[in-house]
Parts: sequence; C-alpha cells; structure tokens
Amino acid sequence: MSGSARTDRLWRWLTLAPALAVLILLTLVPIAELVAMSVHEIVWRSGESQWRFIGLANYVALAGDQLFGAAIVNTTLFAAIGVSVQMVLGFFLAVFTSRAARGQIIYRTVFLLPILMPGIVIGAIWKLMYNVDFGIINQVSGLVGIPPRDWLGEQSLALASVIAVNIWHWTPFCFLLLLAGLESLPQEAYEAARVDGASPWQELIYVTLPMMLPTIVVTLVFRLIVAFKVFDEVYLLTGGGPGTATEVISFSIYRRFFTEDRAGYGSALAIVTLFAMALAIVLAVTALQRRRVTA
Amino acid sequence: MTTNTKGEGLVTILPTCGRLAAAAALVLTLALPTGAMAQKQVPITIVINQSPWFAGFAKLVEAYEKETGNKVTLDVNPFAGAAEKQRNSVRSKEGIFDLLPMNSAYLAEFYHGGFMTPLNEIDPAFKLDPQVIGYDDTAWWDEAKKANSAKTGKLYGVPINGNVPILYYREDLYKERGLKVPATWDELLANAKALHNPPQIYGMVVRAARSASDISYDWMPYLHSYNGSVFRDEKSGDFTVVLNSAEGKAALDRYIEIAKSVAPPNPGSFGQAQVIQQLLTGKAAHAMNVIAAWSQMDDPSRSAVVDKINVAVAPRAPNGQHAPTLGHFIGGIPKNIPMERKKAALAFLAWFQTYDNQVKYAEFGSPPVRKDVLESPMSKERKFRFMKALLDSAPYARMMHTIPEGAQINAVLELRLNQAVIGEQTPASALNLAAAEIRAIVDKGGYKTGRLPDLK
Repeated sequence: MSGSARTDRLWRWLTLAPALAVLILLTLVPIAELVAMSVHEIVWRSGESQWRFIGLANYVALAGDQLFGAAIVNTTLFAAIGVSVQMVLGFFLAVFTSRAARGQIIYRTVFLLPILMPGIVIGAIWKLMYNVDFGIINQVSGLVGIPPRDWLGEQSLALASVIAVNIWHWTPFCFLLLLAGLESLPQEAYEAARVDGASPWQELIYVTLPMMLPTIVVTLVFRLIVAFKVFDEVYLLTGGGPGTATEVISFSIYRRFFTEDRAGYGSALAIVTLFAMALAIVLAVTALQRRRVTA
Repeated sequence: MTTNTKGEGLVTILPTCGRLAAAAALVLTLALPTGAMAQKQVPITIVINQSPWFAGFAKLVEAYEKETGNKVTLDVNPFAGAAEKQRNSVRSKEGIFDLLPMNSAYLAEFYHGGFMTPLNEIDPAFKLDPQVIGYDDTAWWDEAKKANSAKTGKLYGVPINGNVPILYYREDLYKERGLKVPATWDELLANAKALHNPPQIYGMVVRAARSASDISYDWMPYLHSYNGSVFRDEKSGDFTVVLNSAEGKAALDRYIEIAKSVAPPNPGSFGQAQVIQQLLTGKAAHAMNVIAAWSQMDDPSRSAVVDKINVAVAPRAPNGQHAPTLGHFIGGIPKNIPMERKKAALAFLAWFQTYDNQVKYAEFGSPPVRKDVLESPMSKERKFRFMKALLDSAPYARMMHTIPEGAQINAVLELRLNQAVIGEQTPASALNLAAAEIRAIVDKGGYKTGRLPDLK
C-alpha cells in the first residue's frame, strides 16, 4: 500500500471516528443494554437493582401476551390504512401544488401547518373536536341529521378516529417529500410525452409515477417507520382504550416498561419490535435496489 | 446560611452576659418545634402530579416560601409522569427530588425497594402529629415484616393528601324529589334511576376507563363492600387470589348494572377528568370521585352547579361495610439525597402538618389531613361541607395493593374490568382471566398463592 493510500485510509477513519463514536454511544450501547435487560428479571430491593438471569423467558412469554397481539393487529391496521391515505393525499396535493400557476407558497404553507404543531396541541384540539357533547364534529354532523357519536369512546370508531387524526397530522410530511421529488423530475420527459400527444392523466400514470417511484418508496418507508412507532396520538386521545381497541405497540411497551415497571419484559417487547422494523426496512430497501438494477 | 453567619457575628461582639443571653436564645430556638426551624433551609424540589388537589398544595407552598423565606420548586407532571420521575430519581446515584408525594398505588414499590429515609433518621425528635389521619398506617413501614404498621414500623412520611372516593350527589335535585342520601349501592341505583333523564342529565357517571388507575380504583369500593377482595388475606401473607368469588361477581354485576342503566353511553371511556366534567356541567346526578375534586364544584369559573352538590361516604353492599379505597399521597424523603436537603424537606413537612397550615390548606381548596381541622367549626360552614364525608370515610379507608407488584396487578384489573364494562368479556370471564393473570404475577414474585376455581 502506497503512502498516500495509507494517509487516505487514515484520514477516512479519522473523519469517520466522531460519527462512529456517537453512533456507538447513542445507539449500539443502549441497544446492547436493552438486550441484556430483556434476558433478566429486574427488581429493586434495599435501594439496589437485582438482576436475575432468565434466558429467553421474556421472549417466550410474548407469544401468549394477548395485549401485545392486539397491539400488533391495531398497529398494522393503523400503519397500513393511515399511511396509504397519507401517501395518496400527499401525492395529489403535491401534484396540485406543483402544477398551480399561482399561490404555490400559500398552498405549501397551509398544507404544512399540521406537521408544525406539537403533538400535545394536536391531541388537545382533536379531543375537543371529537367531544361527544360539544365537539364541532358532532355539531356539524347534527346539522345534516346525523346523531352525535362518541368518536373516541365507541369501540368500533376509536381506532378509525385516531387514524383520521394521524392522517391529518402526517399527510403534510408525504406532501413535502413528494413535492420535492416532483420538482426535481426532468422536464424533458414531460415535453416528449406532450409531443407524443399524452393527456395529463397519461402523463401522470406513464411519466410521473414511474419516475417518482424511488421517492414514493422512500417516503412510504419513512412514514411506515413513524406510523409503527405511534404513541402520542393514542396516549392523548384514547389511552389505548376502550378495551384494546386502540392498543398499539409503542403504548404497550410504555405500559409494561414504565407503568408496570417490568423493565425486562418491556425490553423484550422493544427488541422484538426493533428487529421486526429493521427487517421490514431491509426488505424494502433491497426490493428498491433490485428494481433499480432491473430498470 | 445567612442566618447562621449573622449569629456567629453577633456572638463574637457581645459581652459575656450578652453571650449567655444569645446562648439561651439559641437553646430556645433549638427547642422550638421543627416548623419554626424552617427558616434556615436549602432549596428543595418536589415532584408532584397535576391532580385536582394540586392548586391548593401549590398555594400552600407559596405561603411556606413567603413565611419562611425557603425556596421550594415544584416539578409538576401528569399522574403517571410524576410516578416515573419519582422512580427514576430514587434509583439514581443521587436523587434530584427532595420530597416525593407518593401515591398509594406506588407506596409499596417505594417502601419495598428501600428507597426512602425514615424521618427519625433525619430528626430523631420528629413526630407525626397525632391529629394527622393515619390512612391505614401507610406512613409507617416495618422493613423486617414488609408491612405498614404504626406499632412496629418506622415513620417514613407525612400524609400530604387524604384522597378517598366519596359519593357526589345533586343535593338540589334530592331536595326537589325528596330523596334520601343512599347508604347502599342499591339505594344509589334507585336514586340514580329516579334522576336519570338523558341526555339532559344522567343518573350516575362511572370512571370505567382503562388507564394506570381508573376503573380498578372506581370498582374497588364495590368489591370490598361486597366482602370480596383481590387476595384472601394480604396482611397475613395469604395471596390466594379470590377475586373471582361469588362476592366479586356480585360487586362487578352491580357496577356494570349501574354503568349500563344510568350512566352516559360508552362508560368505558370515562376517566377521572370526564367524570369531573360531567359533574361540573350538571350532566351527572351522581358520581363516585375523589374528595380532591371537591374544590372545583363550587368554583363559579368552572362549575355550572355551584352550591348544588353535596357529598357522602361511599355506599356499601346491603350486608357489607363502607369501603372507600385509599388514593392518598404520603410525602416521603428519599435516601439518595444529601442530609441538608433531607432536613429542608422535613422542615417543610413539619410546617405542613400543623393545625394552622392545614386550615390554610383547606381554605386554598385542598382537603386537609388533620382530624381536628375536619372537626373544627369550619367544617360546619357551607363551603367546607365536604369535611364531614371525608372524616366519616377515614375509618373505613383501605389500601388497594400492599405489594410492589401492585402496578402490574392494576394493569390486569384495568384491562379486564374495562372489557367487562364495554362487553368484550362477560363479568365471569373477565374475573376469571384477571384472577389467572394476577395469580401468575404473585406466583412469579414468590408469594404464597393459589386461586379459586373459575366462575361459571
């Protein structure tokens, strides 16, 4: 190896080292600690923590955990329905904004407003709007003869109501990323399509969508990750109830870890969730890369 | 500190007789009650939850600061958040909080965990004022027996709030209809039916939501008054789960009947805030709620039912005793803070428990913890009409859980009871499931346990 190659290599490691150190300290060490906790039963006696090794018992117990089962089903529904609607809405809002002849800045500002609000404010606003007695949703629906509903209290409506809030909250995120993608598309392809006599709809289907696919997949993956981690909206609106109607994975972990003070079992839940999410991301990215290679 | 420096300066310049006088003054100062020593303390931080009684407590802290010049910082959180912060602080090398108002739901965890300081290790002369209500001996802890006992245990705290659930009822409507204050759940149901006129007013609102502690706390007075319990005999170490007994089933049936026949729709989504809201807006004729919510009832800026509500001891089963469940707070001092901060926290507690300051506490809108204040002439004033119900409830009040696994047990109860109310489980299956799950928890904890056969 030549002297300059060695210097290059050393320099690469030196510049990488701070980021690597931060990654190890803030990500890998906590995960390693989480793994260690997940194979122990941890109790506190005489002011000291006592760790008892129990092997995979916490992971085995997961299989019979009905609450966690309900949380997986609800979270999957939450993510699948919520993110699908957000992607579609976000895409059409982005197309509309990018094609608007005037007022683009106003549209962008208005469409982005929900994502700028803190979760606690969103929770408070929607809790008031959903209120069965004086919420604006029941007042408006009452004008057209629909009887008032307890949007957050009825089992059949609670999850849908929380998903609606999530859609309102996160559609701007999809809008923002997809708009950035749309604006970076080469105009030559559109010009060629128009020369060939393509209608606006055909442009959308045969030009925009294929070229936008990488952006769409990245946005989808980002949103799915965040949707699977949903916590604040459930915590603020329903607390996981009624029954298990809005129990979601993050809230289940929170309850076990903090409310019930079961650090070992809570860690096992967290590790399983982390592993499942990581696997989903790897699969999505691999699929995307394969598609690029094929294309 | 400033006071000490000034004292030393004085001593050095005074002649001999003056020194004697100063020494005598010092001795007299030392002999004064701890509350009077509150003037020389380091700042303290109290981590506390934003409960209905918090406003009164905050005002009393302001009065303490004004009177003594000591600094108190309040770290205010939602209920579960305060408990988490307390837990994290006592488990760290040095705690950041000096006084922990520990809720009854977490008391066992703090005591069993060995996180708290016996108050007499801070000041051997400190005593809980005999007029302060004992709340099932929960301010004392016997480390050897792992039990609360005023006889054999050490004093670990001072009650800061004496929350018990009491029956809120519309006194104006009672007078209008000539109803009698109910002593039993059956009488309550009959009165609730008489006043039930939805959607204008509901006969009763129940706190049946699933959270850290809603429906379990709301239902426990039914269970205990029907002579049921979670365990056969916790105090003697028998943790056989008897929740799914005939008594337990009768208590749950009665609760569900009330929830379904005279409560607003979807009672399974009503937490404490919703119950208070229903009372304040005049939509509930009755509710079981903590005494701490009282101050809002007569507040014209919040309430549409000013002077229309009164309170009574929690009803009982026809053949049972009243059994309000303790939801109180004990102010304790952690082990892992420096002694000067422990002394400062104890100085606050000593000041807090005095008669005059408990009167102020009541005037600020929080229920006092002293018996003599509850019996004082102020209890006859219309404004303080809650005091009699609180005093009458005290002898019956009992703990919900006495073991550190209480939070896990509560989580089970919250889920299964809520499912029973919303119809996801039948009462029998909800109790059977809860009993099996609770048995697994105590079994894992190494307690002597077992459980009843499943209810049919």
